[in-house]
Amino acid sequence: MVVLRRIPVHWLLLAPALFFVAAMALFPLGYSFLLSFREWKLARSVTPGDWVGLENYWYLLTDDPDFLEAVKVTSVFVVSNVGVTLLVALGAALLLHRAGRINTFARVLLILPFVMSPALVGISFRFFLNGEYGIVHHLIGLAFPSMVNTIWLADSTLSMVAVIAADVWHWAPYMTLVMLGGLASIPKETEEAARVDGASAWAVFRDVTLPQLLPVISVVLVLKTVFALKAFDIIYTLSNGGPGRSTQTLAYFVYETAFNYYNMGYAAAAAYILTAVLLVTSGFYLRLVFKK
Amino acid sequence: MTASLSTAAMPGYQASAGERTVNWVRQLAVMVLIGAILLPIAWIFLTAFKTPRDVYSISSALWFTPTFENMLTVFREPWNLGSKVVNSLAVAGGTVLLAMPMATMAAYAFSRFDFRFKQTIFLIVIASQFIPAAVVVLPYFLMFKEAGMLDTRTALVLVNLSIVLPYAVWMIKGFIDAVPMEIEESAMVDGAPRSRVIWEIVVPTALPGIITAAVFSFTLTWNEFLFALIIGKQHALTLPIGLIGFRTERGDLWELMAAGGVLITAPMFLISLLVQKQFVGSLTAGSVR
Amino acid sequence: MTVISLSHIDKSFGPVRIVKDLNLDIADQEFLVFLGPSGCGKTTTMRMVAGLEHPTLGEVAFDGKRMNEVPTQGRDVAMVFQNYGLYPHMSVAQNIAYPLKLRGVAPGERDRLVAKAAERVELGPFLKRMPRELSGGQRQRVALARSIVRTPRVFLMDEPLSNLDAKLRVLARAQIKHLAEDLKVTTIYVTHDQVEAMTLAHRVAVMKDGVIRQLGAPEDIYNDPADSFVAGFIGSPAMNLLPVEARGSMLQAAGGMQIRLPAPRDGELTLGARAEDMRLGNLDEAHFQADVFTFELLGDCTMATVMIGHTLVAIKAQKDLRLRSAERIGVCFDPQRLYWFDRATGARIRA
Repeated sequence: MVVLRRIPVHWLLLAPALFFVAAMALFPLGYSFLLSFREWKLARSVTPGDWVGLENYWYLLTDDPDFLEAVKVTSVFVVSNVGVTLLVALGAALLLHRAGRINTFARVLLILPFVMSPALVGISFRFFLNGEYGIVHHLIGLAFPSMVNTIWLADSTLSMVAVIAADVWHWAPYMTLVMLGGLASIPKETEEAARVDGASAWAVFRDVTLPQLLPVISVVLVLKTVFALKAFDIIYTLSNGGPGRSTQTLAYFVYETAFNYYNMGYAAAAAYILTAVLLVTSGFYLRLVFKK
Repeated sequence: MTASLSTAAMPGYQASAGERTVNWVRQLAVMVLIGAILLPIAWIFLTAFKTPRDVYSISSALWFTPTFENMLTVFREPWNLGSKVVNSLAVAGGTVLLAMPMATMAAYAFSRFDFRFKQTIFLIVIASQFIPAAVVVLPYFLMFKEAGMLDTRTALVLVNLSIVLPYAVWMIKGFIDAVPMEIEESAMVDGAPRSRVIWEIVVPTALPGIITAAVFSFTLTWNEFLFALIIGKQHALTLPIGLIGFRTERGDLWELMAAGGVLITAPMFLISLLVQKQFVGSLTAGSVR
Repeated sequence: MTVISLSHIDKSFGPVRIVKDLNLDIADQEFLVFLGPSGCGKTTTMRMVAGLEHPTLGEVAFDGKRMNEVPTQGRDVAMVFQNYGLYPHMSVAQNIAYPLKLRGVAPGERDRLVAKAAERVELGPFLKRMPRELSGGQRQRVALARSIVRTPRVFLMDEPLSNLDAKLRVLARAQIKHLAEDLKVTTIYVTHDQVEAMTLAHRVAVMKDGVIRQLGAPEDIYNDPADSFVAGFIGSPAMNLLPVEARGSMLQAAGGMQIRLPAPRDGELTLGARAEDMRLGNLDEAHFQADVFTFELLGDCTMATVMIGHTLVAIKAQKDLRLRSAERIGVCFDPQRLYWFDRATGARIRA
C-alpha cells in the first residue's frame, strides 16, 4: 500500500481499464497479426504451422475468388445500407421534428429496434419472408402479384435486399434519433430569418438546415459504415451468407474460413484486411468527433 | 423537442388547401413509420402465442386462439431457455457490475487529470470499439482454450467487458466532464481525500450518466451473439444462442423462436423505455457537437 | 493565530506566466483583499494558498511552516467559491455538515454545530431543502455556513458576491464583514469590484498582470495611489486621467486645449484628478474651459462631463445644477488634490 502512494493517482484509476483493453483488445490484435503470417489448418494440427510470410495476403487478394466475391458483396452491402439508412434517418427526422402527440409517440418508439438483438432481427425477417407463411412475403405478393411465388432467400439479389432491409430496420431509427438531436441544435432563428427573407420551405431546407446538419450527417455516415462493415449477427441468422455466397460479407467470410474450414492463419489474414479498412474508416469518425 | 415553424399552434390560422394536403401526407408518413417499427415487433409477439398450425398458415394470421403453450415449452427439454436466461442474466449482470467501476475510474482520470499521452491513450480505449469481432474471435477462442475456460460464463464476461468498456468510458467521461470542478474543490477544501471526493461527491452527481452507461452496456451484452456462439458450447449458452437452437433439421420452429424472442426482448424494451430520455440524450451526445 | 507568508511566488501555466515573483505577508486576523481585473492572477494566488494550485516557484507558509507539499485536505482552510460549489445531491444541512463528517465529528455534535452555523447566516428554516430549490442569495449563504461550521485557520473567498444582484450584494457584503470580525480568522478575499475592496479590507493588494501594484489600507490606496493603473481602478466614478504635455507653467492637452496649471516637471505626463475634487467655476478663473459633453442627474449630485481629445473628464457638481449640452463651462482643479503620473510608465510622480 505504501508503494501505491508513490504512483500518481491517475494511473491507479486508469490501471484496471487499461489493463483490460491491453489484454482483451491489443494483445489479441497482435496475436492475430502474427497468426496471419503463418499457415494453420486446425483440422491437421493443434498448433500453428509454418511461417509463410505474405502468402496468405497474396493469395487472398489475387487468387481467391471467394474472398474477392466477399469484397464485392461487402461493398454493395455497405454502400446501399449506409445510403438507405441515411436517407431514411434524415427523412424520418425531418418528419418527426415537430410537436404533436403522434410525433412524440413515434419518437418514443425509435429506440426499440435498436435494443432488439440483431440475431433476433435476422431470425424475424427470415420468418417474415418465408414463402408459405411469411407475412411480408404475403403482403408483397398482394401488392405485386408477380412476386407471389418468389422465394426471397433463394434469390441472390432479393437476399441482399432482405439483409439490407433488416439492418436498416435495426439501425435507422437510432440514427433518426441522432439526426433529431442534430436538428434540435440548429437555432430556429436561422430558419425563421430565411423564411422572412422569402425562402420557400425547400429553399430553407437546402440553404439553411442542411448545411448546419452536415456535421451530424457526416457522423451518421461514418458511424453506420463502421457498423455495416462489422455486421455479422443479422447475416448469420437471416441468410447464412447465402444463397451461395451472395450475402457473404467480409465479416462472414472470416467466420466461415475460421470456424467452418478451420483455416486459421488464412482467416486471420482476411480479418486483418477487414480491420485495416475499419481502422481507416473509424479514423475519419474520430477526427470528425474530436476536432480539437 | 422544439417544433420548427409550426403554424398549427397559431390560433385562428386557416391553412390553405395545399398546406392541408401536405399535412395529411405527413400524418400518413408518420403512421407508416410507426407501422414499420411496430409491425415486426407485434408480429413476433403474436406468433409467440400461436399454435404451430396457426403459424404455418397465413389465413390464421390475425384470427387465432392464443396459447401459452409455447412460453412453457421453451423452458422444458431440450430447449431449456430457463438456464439460458440465468446465463444471460449472470453474464450481463457480471459484465455491468465489473465494467461500471472500471469505466468510472478511468473516465474520472481522463476527465480530471492531465498527463502525457492522455489523448493517445484515450483514443486507443475509444477506438477499441471499432475492432471487428472477426479479428479477435480467433485469439479469444485459442486463449480460452489454452486456459481451459471455453464454455464458461467467466470467459463471456471477460469478452463482453472488452466490448463494453470503450462505450462506457466515453459516455461516463461526458457526464463527469459536466460535473463542475468547484464541487470537487469544495470537497477537497472541506477535507475530503480524493477517494471520498470520487465516491461521495462525483459519482452521486454523475449517477444518471452512469446508470445510462450501465443500461447501454447491459443491452450490448444481453444481445451479444458472435462470441457467445464461438465460446459457448453446452454450459455457457446465452439467450441469443438459445434462439437459433430452434432451427432444427426438420425445420424452423417459429412459434418457439418467437416465444424465445419475446423473452429476450421484452425486458430490453421495458428498460429502454424507462430510461428513455437519458439513454437517447447521452447516446447522441457523443455524435452531435 | 495564522500568519500567511508568500515568498517569491511564481506561477506559470505552460508558457503563460500568471503570477510573477509575488511577495506578501498577511497578518493574523487580517482581512486582505486581492483586487484587480480578470486575468491579473488574484484568484490563482488565492488558490495557491488553498493548495488547489501549486506554485511553479516560491513558497507558501502558514505561521512559518512551509505548506507547498501539504495537500488541500490537510491545510485546514475554508473556501467560498464563486459559484458556491454546493453538493447538489445533499440537503443544506448535509452540505454544511460535510466538513464535520469528514473529520469524524459525532452526529449529535454535528447537528448542533450545523444549527449554529445556519443561524448565523439566517438559514434556519432551509436546512432540509436541496440546493436546486434555493435562490442565489440563499445558496451563497449555505456556502458561507459550510465554511464557518468549523473554525478554519484561514478563510478564502473567491468573488462570492459577483453572482448576486446589486441590492443583495450590499446586504451580503455587510454580513460578510460582520462575520469576519466576529470569527477573528485570517481572511483572503478576491474581487474585481473596488467597492467591495474598499469597504471590507484591512489592506488591499491591487494586482495587474501577475504583479502587486500597490499594497496598503483602503484610504492609502484611495488617497495616495502608486501608479496610474491603481488610481484609475479605485473610486467610483473612476479618477479622471488626462494625458497632457507639460511645458513651463502650462499644460497642453489633446485638441489644442490649454490648461493653466504647473506640473512638477516637463514632458509627457498623465494628470489625475477625482471628479469630487474638481468644480465648475467662472470662465476667467477656471483652469480650463470646455463644452459640456453630457451631464447626468445622479440624485445626490449632478455629474458634468466634458470631452478633451478622446478622454472624458467628469466633474461633480451640486444636485440642483442644470446645464445645457455644448454649453461652455469653466473647470477648476484643487491644487492640493492632484496626482501626476509619468505617461510612459504610469509611475506616480511625487512633487
